[in-house]
Amino acid sequence: MEPNTPTAQQQAQGEEEQSLYEVRQKIQPRAVHGWFANWRVALVLFTQLLYYGLPWLKWDGHQAILFDLAARKFYIFDLTLWPQDFIWLTGILVISALSLFLFTAVAGRLWCGFACPQTVYTEIFMWIEEWAEGGHLARKKLDTLPWNVEKIRKRGLKHLLWFLIAFWTGFTFVGYFSPITTLWNELLTFNTGPWETFWIFFYAFATWGNAGFMREQVCKYMCPYARFQSVMFDPDTLIISYDPARGEPRGPRSKKLDYKAQGMGDCVDCGICVQVCPTGIDIRKGLQYECIGCAACIDGCDQVMEKMGYPKGLIRYTTENVMKGKYADKNILSHVFRPRVLVYTAILLAIMIAFLVTLANRVPLRTEVIRDRLTLSRSTEDGRLENLYTVRILNMQDKLHKFKITATGAEDIQVVADEKDLKAGPQQSINVPVRLLIDPINLKGPSTPVMIRAQAEDDPELISETKSSFLRR
Amino acid sequence: MLKRLITVLWPSFLIAGVADVLFFTLFDPTQLLYKEEPLFESHLAAYTVGFFLFWLMGIGSSALTCYFQRSADDINRCPLVPSARPEGCPKKEGCADCS
Repeated sequence: MEPNTPTAQQQAQGEEEQSLYEVRQKIQPRAVHGWFANWRVALVLFTQLLYYGLPWLKWDGHQAILFDLAARKFYIFDLTLWPQDFIWLTGILVISALSLFLFTAVAGRLWCGFACPQTVYTEIFMWIEEWAEGGHLARKKLDTLPWNVEKIRKRGLKHLLWFLIAFWTGFTFVGYFSPITTLWNELLTFNTGPWETFWIFFYAFATWGNAGFMREQVCKYMCPYARFQSVMFDPDTLIISYDPARGEPRGPRSKKLDYKAQGMGDCVDCGICVQVCPTGIDIRKGLQYECIGCAACIDGCDQVMEKMGYPKGLIRYTTENVMKGKYADKNILSHVFRPRVLVYTAILLAIMIAFLVTLANRVPLRTEVIRDRLTLSRSTEDGRLENLYTVRILNMQDKLHKFKITATGAEDIQVVADEKDLKAGPQQSINVPVRLLIDPINLKGPSTPVMIRAQAEDDPELISETKSSFLRR
Repeated sequence: MLKRLITVLWPSFLIAGVADVLFFTLFDPTQLLYKEEPLFESHLAAYTVGFFLFWLMGIGSSALTCYFQRSADDINRCPLVPSARPEGCPKKEGCADCS
């Protein structure tokens, strides 16, 4: 057999693919100030206040938001969800996802550029980097320097602060799943459980790695949303775009020059838009999937335009159709209500309504019935037949209830519970052994379907029933 | 190689998270018995162990996908660079059709 050798092209492709991960040009973005940068700062503060603050909020004597894994109960303010209520949790996730789709269809990758944890923590970590190591040029220089006292001091300070934030982020994360005040007390005495400790450090490590090192690579190679967000886009979706008609031909020039008379465009080719880009792309080459819509290039370009005395907005939020000259920037709003957006909105609204209606009608009581597996059926002294069951009553309300158990399915069913007081405390479940007694003349076949029902004595609305069967032998 | 590693580890990580949530929503880990003894002493332990088991399974599946994706070229290729091939090898450096 003639051994095959890879063609030069295949080899070149292979090397190029390798370079995506291995020889990555480290990006040291230049810090930028401006309208969008201010918005990002505001959103970083808002989302982090929410994230770090929420687990500490108390509500009705419990942690307001707690996905208590150990107790298998999810507390969301007044709502307490049990594993059986998983459908509503799924509902919340579906609503979040659809909102994201709607947002994306209207305004592009706003989520990515302003609210995604990856962006937010990268932003925070870059503030620290800037403070500890200096601006982007100083950092580039530091990268090439050999390890000396100065470099160790700067890098050490940066990593110490990064670690503290990452650790607190990991601690907060676990605090959503394990009561945070208990966790905090355990932390103070270095007494956290082994699994909690593991997850705190696991999440801290992920934060440190993703926000400190992986950065834009997470968006480029790891994020599933980045890969399919473009399917929500259409020519009327807001995107960050360079206006080539206005900018080209680009080139450096003196501020006083009548550049239009020279046949030049507005772009002075200063390269600021490339320097500030956290993903290291050149927006002037058109929309690229790497663009996370952070608008740093808009802020950067606007500053330069202002200095040059040119109108702002050479790079701006606009739509593909505006770029094609189909309508003007000021008419973007009138193109928001298009079929795609209306369909997304309709689906979102329908699911939200279904979510709220089913939640409002949710009966906070559940029963499960397990037949006794050892005895199928036995006769009593008075000639009736008896079946044994265990009825599990799950009281999902925040108050104690006393229950009574009844059954239907045949005439004259007698229900006998050996325990007299069927009390289930708040958010508690009880197992009740129950006997059903039926006269055989009332049974139609070897197996009769019966409904076993639990009802709160103080609240007749609180009712739940489960199907089981009564066997003749 | 690093790219291979990430394409194996990362998708399995995502799926492990989903699988862990789904599985333990349906089954309470403290009710899982092995030889009539409870399998786990705590919920958190079960979730963690479960997560890593799912991750391992995902890694196995992704790794096999990667492995079976090797083309005939990859398998047939001579591991030696052309200059290091033995004297008289038809694919030695300088020959007409080697690359």
